[in-house]
Amino acid sequence: MTDRRVELLLGALASVVLLLIVGMVIFVFTKAWPSFANNGLKWFGPGGNVDDQLIDIFNSPANPANYVYKLRAYPLIYGTAITTIGAVVIGLTFALLSAIFIVEFAPPRLRAVLEPVVRLLAAVPSVIYGLIGILVLVPFIGNDLITAEQKKSVAFVVQLSGSSLLVAVVILTVMITPIMIAIIVDALRSVPRSWTEGASALGVNRWRVIWTISVRAARPAIIAAAVLATARALGEAIMLSMVSGSVGFAPNPLDGLTFLFEPTRPLAATIVDNAEGLSVKPFGQTIYAFAAVLLVSSLLLSLSGWAAKQPLKRYGVRA
Amino acid sequence: MSRSHRLLGVCAIAGSVAAFPASASAPARTTISISGSTSVAPLTAKLIRGYLRAFPGSVSFRLAQGGSDVGVADVARGRVTIGDSSRDPKPTDPGGIVFNKIARDAICIATHSSNPVKNLSQAQIQAIFGGRIRNWSQIPGSGVTGTINIVVRTAASGTQDAFDKIFMGSTRVSSSAAQKASNGLVAQAIRSDPNAIGYVSLAFTNGLNDAQYKGVGCTLRNAKSGQYEGTRNFWMVTRGRAIGAARRFIFWINNSRSASAIIANGWVPLR
Repeated sequence: MTDRRVELLLGALASVVLLLIVGMVIFVFTKAWPSFANNGLKWFGPGGNVDDQLIDIFNSPANPANYVYKLRAYPLIYGTAITTIGAVVIGLTFALLSAIFIVEFAPPRLRAVLEPVVRLLAAVPSVIYGLIGILVLVPFIGNDLITAEQKKSVAFVVQLSGSSLLVAVVILTVMITPIMIAIIVDALRSVPRSWTEGASALGVNRWRVIWTISVRAARPAIIAAAVLATARALGEAIMLSMVSGSVGFAPNPLDGLTFLFEPTRPLAATIVDNAEGLSVKPFGQTIYAFAAVLLVSSLLLSLSGWAAKQPLKRYGVRA
Repeated sequence: MSRSHRLLGVCAIAGSVAAFPASASAPARTTISISGSTSVAPLTAKLIRGYLRAFPGSVSFRLAQGGSDVGVADVARGRVTIGDSSRDPKPTDPGGIVFNKIARDAICIATHSSNPVKNLSQAQIQAIFGGRIRNWSQIPGSGVTGTINIVVRTAASGTQDAFDKIFMGSTRVSSSAAQKASNGLVAQAIRSDPNAIGYVSLAFTNGLNDAQYKGVGCTLRNAKSGQYEGTRNFWMVTRGRAIGAARRFIFWINNSRSASAIIANGWVPLR
């Protein structure tokens, strides 16, 4: 195998991957364009009930001149944003503190159990979390946690039945935390020992050493872990469609505690629930529009991850 | 080799690798592929088993679900041989497809087993599912108190289409209803919430309480006699008139006694 032949072959494989991604993006955007064109920027705004609008689009008359496209997807985008941000913020806190415990404070026997268990949890398929959610958490929250007064207080707008924002955020957090723990543990371990030993020699206790030196040095990896977890949370479809409520509703934070119990339905779950309607042309284009929004948000996510690492380069951190 | 030649070679190999999957394989001849309604799927599975018992080794089947609309669209595009549909033909359906009726099915209004609502009139059903009545205290005979949680199907469902036409008429279903993607998920949602009410196909009412509609119980006998009004048709859709193995299968379903016996177990046979 000459060098030239290997270069050609490997270059071809890399190009195929690139062509695939570019092709996929172009395909989704061309299919999604009519939905954006007919709604303009109002597509992203609020206005009316998004489920009713989807039903109207699905029942469009057969004549292409009379296709219905009106959509105001704000409740779906808002639902995606709060479930993802909520899960990542809670998960990152848990992951960072657990990683510090595993690296520094855990007794050796406990560490020997924790590390393989965390990696195992990171590999569990998400639909299993969805089954546990729908069979255990949803009935528990619906029947034992939500009171009848709370259900009555919002009864004229939305129904509270257990599948809610709370279940979605909790299960999403459980799903994304193990992979974050695994990445941060590896990063904390790769901090040069001379740095941490030097600090200990100066009399600093273990907690301050790891917080002020290891965690600061591992910031790029923590950002990478957060970006990876957010990408997984954004794309989670099946599990969220089972447990998050199946209504295109934007939970209202002004409702107090009831805000956590209100149903919602992120974008990926909406795509999964409505994928059967692809055969109706305007409905299919609307679903592709949801997919285009998800593609753009993952692109923005990568960009923000890169941008978050830039200020760290100033201090010589290997970002 | 010069730089530009190398680049050309890389692109050529990349292009040929990418074009390779485009040459799709030809469809198998003796496999009948079926996709479509989640309501028709249990019946189709039983019919397939019966057909293979009657004619072993004649043909092989592949059964998928996805919803009535998926079945109709798949058949129109030639992706499957037969599409299951639990809704009647719509004017917006693609052209060139033929609907073959195979059975009739009842749609039951179901509540949780701890909520033994006996009878619901059409006005009550329209008020509940339309969002005008929102509390169980306004329904006489209910065993629970509190708000009503309505569970419906997504827009593409044939069961939803039939429910809207038969029970709701011109009343629109409330926008706060939870939309589930299949009969099984609706049944699961009702089973886990004592305040829930929804509609499922007769085959999915295990463990749930079905309410009488206009004084007639949702049972197979009432559906057969025509007394229960909430019945709808099951269709097997083919692209053009059915030919070959698909035609023999549908002919067997419509004409053989063993097929009628299988259908009569949970659905209404046509003869």
